Amino acid sequence: MNRQAVILDYAARPVGRLMPRPGEAIEEFEQDILCDLIIQTANNSGVAREDIGSLNLTSPTPATQQLGFATFLASRLGLRCDARISDINNMGITGGLAFDQACEDVSSGKTDFALACGIEFSTGAPAEMIMDRGIRVVGDVDFQSPFGLTPIAWYAFDANRYMHETGASRNDIAQIAVKNRAHAALNPLAQYRKPMTLEEVCAQRPIVEPLGLFEVSPVGDGAICLMVSSEENARSLNKPYVRVRGRGFQHDGHHQIGNHYHDMLAFPAASHTGNVALTMAGVKIDDINLAELYAPCTITELLVSEALGLAEKGKGYMAVLDGEYSLGGRLPISTSGGCLSRGHPPGLTGLYGLAELYDQLTAQAGERQVRDATLALHICEGGNYNLALAHVLESMQ
Amino acid sequence: MILEIVKCEGKRPLAPRESHYTREFWSKLSTGEFTSTRCQVCRKLMFPPRQHCPMCWSKKTDWVSLSGKGKLYARTTVHAGPLMFQQHIPYSVGIIDLDEGVRLIASIIDGDEKIQNDEEVQLIVLAYDDGPLFAVRKIESD
Repeated sequence: MNRQAVILDYAARPVGRLMPRPGEAIEEFEQDILCDLIIQTANNSGVAREDIGSLNLTSPTPATQQLGFATFLASRLGLRCDARISDINNMGITGGLAFDQACEDVSSGKTDFALACGIEFSTGAPAEMIMDRGIRVVGDVDFQSPFGLTPIAWYAFDANRYMHETGASRNDIAQIAVKNRAHAALNPLAQYRKPMTLEEVCAQRPIVEPLGLFEVSPVGDGAICLMVSSEENARSLNKPYVRVRGRGFQHDGHHQIGNHYHDMLAFPAASHTGNVALTMAGVKIDDINLAELYAPCTITELLVSEALGLAEKGKGYMAVLDGEYSLGGRLPISTSGGCLSRGHPPGLTGLYGLAELYDQLTAQAGERQVRDATLALHICEGGNYNLALAHVLESMQ
Repeated sequence: MILEIVKCEGKRPLAPRESHYTREFWSKLSTGEFTSTRCQVCRKLMFPPRQHCPMCWSKKTDWVSLSGKGKLYARTTVHAGPLMFQQHIPYSVGIIDLDEGVRLIASIIDGDEKIQNDEEVQLIVLAYDDGPLFAVRKIESD
């Protein structure tokens, strides 16, 4: 069986602060927030509890006390899944992978309805403690982590090398942060919505040179749930939905860097993955109306846009300066505000990106609506885009 | 080729673990020798040293001595780092392409001028109280 999978609906909390500070009274436990969103998604979709056969949860952060969270959550909701319950954690593609698995369960016929959801609590934990773990994720613990490279330090290498090779200035790249903030200003789910100028971006303290505070993603909590179903079930529910037309996945074989020299700016996994997803959908990159690109730093969005063929390699920053990726431009990128302004709970960013495309492709994006949006591309990543997962989505109103 | 050994106060912020196999690398490093492994079957040189060749999966690898000379590929200076690195902030780190063809991560010790990408660099040993790490500095023209 190979059925067409669709996104039926979603519910989310705005990215920001959900986690209590140390010593602060707890308003809601993680499971309460997530149960609320799952019930909301099911009710809005018109799906009954007993018809949900697959629960794909992104692993909560270490700040979450409750372990065994996936089955704990299922028991709290009285879900008796007969296709799958899983707890997923694989760097930045975690959210995308939860969604991918939900699609797989529906399209293979294991179930008619599958959930992709998660909650992340990070704001109450000191940033330095999060980084203690971070350096062990993005490096060989015995030969790289001892030098203190945080996840975003790797993107700083990219920015440094990109400027060296192309002659682009820090300002040229920082323009992406300004663009994404302007988008976030129109997104009720975004963490930071106050418009900002290029001067403000470049005046911030350095975090990982050449990138400053507003060129890297902020810490934020989030909670989100997407409902995936087969197209025939979606039709019978008589509501707008979004088709998952194409899918691509690849790992380039490196963990941040390889053993030998390679072009770190090429993002070959992103390039391959994008092509595979587009080919499966039977469309070309020029047919795409908008894209949500997982990009924890300004430079990341630039490099993945080039890898996907939206701009010539080394010239993507010019397209940003020309407004091609802004709302109203040729191909708006990160209309949600992206990691930098919508916010970046890493395991959930993929799901928030897909939710944005659902809003756009069902014409529910309000002031940030891309006119006549029918085809959209989503991509998320792990490492330095060593791992990439892409989906092509299509409007079916 | 014996690398310059620079004495550093205190312990390494995050000490690398040593297995029976990788102990060879760290003990050689503390004497100023920079080594890695080469596959006996496919002849590929790798870094970090590995017990299994990532290219052909052979378990036959030989230790070889490297020159420690290379070029800086990319660099960053970290101003917000993990807890154990707090007292070292800001610190500079680089991606180094060694002449022998391998790529690695090392601390950067800048002189009066910042080392730029594609400039030639030389590995040195940082001898902490609890063991060695490695860094690069600009190559000295003598």
